Amino acid sequence: MAERQYEELKEFEKQLEARGLKYVGRPRPNREAVLKVTGKAVYVDDLRLPNMLHAKLLLSPHAHARIVSIDTSEAEKIRGVRAIVHYFNSPHNVFNSAMRFYGDNSPFDMPETEYIFDEYVRFVGDRVAAVAADDPFIAEEAVKRIKVEYELLPAVFDVDQALAEGAPLANPHGVDGTNICGGWLAYGSHSEEEVLKAIDEADYVFEDTFELSKVHHGYLEPVCHVAYYSPDGKLTIWTSGQNVFCFRSVIAQALGLPHSKVRVIKMIVGGAFGGKLEVLHEPVVGLLSMRTGRPVKLRLTRKEVFLSTRSRHSGKVTVRTGVDKDGRIRGQYIRSLMNTGAYAGSGPNTVGAQSGKTFLLYDAPYMFYRGAAVYTNIPPAGAMRGYGTPQIMLPRETHIDRICREMGWDPVEFRLKNVLRPFQNNCLGQNVHNARIADCIRAGMEAFRWYERRRAAEATHGQRVRRGVGMGLAVHGAGWYPVYQDLTTVTIRLHDDGTAVLLTGTHDLGTGARTILAQIAAEILTIDPDLIEVIEADTDVTPLDLGAQASRTTYIGGNATILAARQLREQLLDEASRMLKVSIDRLELDDGFVVVRDNPSQCVSIADIVASAQRGSTGMPQRELIATATFESRTAIESYAADFCEVEVDTETYQVRVLDFLAVHNSGRVINPLLFEGQVHGGIHMGLGYALSEEMIIDPQTGEVKNPNFKKYRMFKAADMPPSIRVITVEEPEEAGPFGGKSIGECASDGVAGAVVNAVSHALGVELRRVPLTPEYLRSVVEASRRS
Amino acid sequence: MDERVEVTLNINGEEYQLEIGKRWTLLYVLRDVLNLTGTKYGCGTGDCGACKVLIDGEPVNSCTYLATRAQGKEVITIEGLSKDGRLTPVQQAFVETGAIQCGFCTPGMVITATALLRRNPNPTREEIIAALDNNLCRCTGYVKIIEAIELAARRMRGEA
Repeated sequence: MAERQYEELKEFEKQLEARGLKYVGRPRPNREAVLKVTGKAVYVDDLRLPNMLHAKLLLSPHAHARIVSIDTSEAEKIRGVRAIVHYFNSPHNVFNSAMRFYGDNSPFDMPETEYIFDEYVRFVGDRVAAVAADDPFIAEEAVKRIKVEYELLPAVFDVDQALAEGAPLANPHGVDGTNICGGWLAYGSHSEEEVLKAIDEADYVFEDTFELSKVHHGYLEPVCHVAYYSPDGKLTIWTSGQNVFCFRSVIAQALGLPHSKVRVIKMIVGGAFGGKLEVLHEPVVGLLSMRTGRPVKLRLTRKEVFLSTRSRHSGKVTVRTGVDKDGRIRGQYIRSLMNTGAYAGSGPNTVGAQSGKTFLLYDAPYMFYRGAAVYTNIPPAGAMRGYGTPQIMLPRETHIDRICREMGWDPVEFRLKNVLRPFQNNCLGQNVHNARIADCIRAGMEAFRWYERRRAAEATHGQRVRRGVGMGLAVHGAGWYPVYQDLTTVTIRLHDDGTAVLLTGTHDLGTGARTILAQIAAEILTIDPDLIEVIEADTDVTPLDLGAQASRTTYIGGNATILAARQLREQLLDEASRMLKVSIDRLELDDGFVVVRDNPSQCVSIADIVASAQRGSTGMPQRELIATATFESRTAIESYAADFCEVEVDTETYQVRVLDFLAVHNSGRVINPLLFEGQVHGGIHMGLGYALSEEMIIDPQTGEVKNPNFKKYRMFKAADMPPSIRVITVEEPEEAGPFGGKSIGECASDGVAGAVVNAVSHALGVELRRVPLTPEYLRSVVEASRRS
Repeated sequence: MDERVEVTLNINGEEYQLEIGKRWTLLYVLRDVLNLTGTKYGCGTGDCGACKVLIDGEPVNSCTYLATRAQGKEVITIEGLSKDGRLTPVQQAFVETGAIQCGFCTPGMVITATALLRRNPNPTREEIIAALDNNLCRCTGYVKIIEAIELAARRMRGEA
């Protein structure tokens, strides 16, 4: 988008704000809420197509093996089995399931390492075969009767094993014969040597290594896909996904189809959090439909979701910081190893994304990031809310608290001294725009009564049940600028009764994206948001979008909506001016009418203007009032959060209870406070589980996920949540955002675990170096510290 | 494959005579025989509550409940709560408070809340939280769900 267009857009927003905003900034329930609360919302698993078959996957029982042979003869004998696909009878087109846009296949960033079925299986849960049958019971029975001969191969499960000398290769695509995926990413304010030297020359040097666990998104809706390959050679996929246009590219590549012959339709999504951003088993379902000519559905069981989808990167992060006597951070070096599992997916890109966040929080003259994704034989990691960011924030925020303890600084004051200020350039020379993190810290400190409660907590430290008070910070961007292209297109059409339809490739994941875009369009067109239909994410119907990821939806989609609505407004004013015979500069849109500003009784309804345009009544060509606009991000905008919490730890059982949580967010102007709060609450829930209870436990012998169910994979229940949760905002508008808005989806969760771990450290007076803080781990740390 | 049996089920006030597999769960019968897809499969092990229905007024996980056991009982699903297109007070409160995001846990949550408020019209916050012990939500942190149940309770008592 040209600079001029951008400036005009911002000028236009200011005019609207001067008039007073009617819909933007107001709470409004999710527009799908009534459908959902009555059980009428249609998710993928609720689709019922004529003659639909049901698919079942055969998943590998081995962490690493070559498939020698597959015998399907017994399975084929079962009545009702319609197709069986596997390595020996399927296309072998390599792809990367995390590809974000067409042509996104750099071997450094997006290595292509996956097939629909490979000759090798590389984790327990990898795809071996799939069956389509008349009902799910038949499909399940058939899968049991497939005989596979495997040649077992050595495997590695964690990053240390994977990088050891002579380690078996978990995946053959590693760099230079190692398990490094893509390559090392290494950059900073100065050279690596200069940064390390600057740190060593500081008055104090600290270094900590933190172990990060593998956690799952835990979306309530299991992964589900439906495919239908129709007689005209068109493959339609209905899925619960976050990036239909990219899915189209990946599915087309995997199956060898042109893009025009693949249509991907996003259904209502029952939670995603990044876990449905990457293509999962869609190509398999597509292949089964191509083989049978019938619609095919695959709905994973919860166990299969844990074994064969995506999860957060586990790994190891080391932070080394040099601090001067006055409490200023002189230099910081971060080394990160992210366990990407058996396939590249988004591994290298997650490293890239987390590296960026490293530089956007603290103001240190010397900083350097070195990181890599590492192949192992465990289920592939992938995008998950934060996309590598919690894995930086958590180790670093706990490291900062350790520095505070050793140097005698209060954690709030140390952070206030060192965080970046608004419109400052960081050590890479990047401007952080209206970064209000210091304001967030101050607001939280007051609202949480920080000093008073720290002291009160410390008074309990001789008791069996001890309290601790901690905090943690976070930063997250909105979109990809300046790393990749970042655009979306919105089309708005006006109907002849004065209502409208907005077409967008944006994906609503239950987050309220459709609601928010309607609010923004309504603000400009002065039509009630409920009268603006929002059609989302269908590759054959809606304009291009790059997916619900990178916290980009409100920023990119919101701005595109403003552009399209503004064009439509101009068309309305133009036609109204001819109808009323009044010059445009005297006209304004108001509550569904174009009115003459100095004579409001003279007006014409949007419905009449649309009808007039279609009839060509004013001498203009007959035309539809329709506008299409593309927004291209030209600015990186960051959201900030300061999270505060108080915990209570029983030093006999080592159970941790979070008593109070306060999240302070700088997300620019909040477009919809009700949905905003909901995002923050959910982010807190996810962060608390990350800190305290959730972990996919990998068997060290077999590599199998040992707890693939909700009984043993412990997400917080209502009773586990803090009795008090508060959300406050520092609502400083960010100029580039729509009406000053920034992102919230990921920032909501990025800093939560750091605050919790710091509070538990405060309660127990020990350094904690891993999550989750299980009672066993806490007991071992406390006992070790007593011994020393 | 599975031995078939004839059953008579009373679902949302209507009688259905069905021939079903002996080991079919109530959830499978609701969703895949009767197309009552409002009840959700979330885990299949009775741990998430997305499949809850009322059986003789009690919230039950239909994913671990054999359909044959439901004979002679009154089953109410999410589709059977609202009458004539009007939301129940619980449903209305869920919508207004923002308790619904992705919506996948919502039918189960509404069923649990409905059963609670029928049994106990004036629950404390602790009693609400205890009632939600078998319902997972990943989007809301339960904050607005608890608020919604409190609001519905107040309204049903005529206090709001």
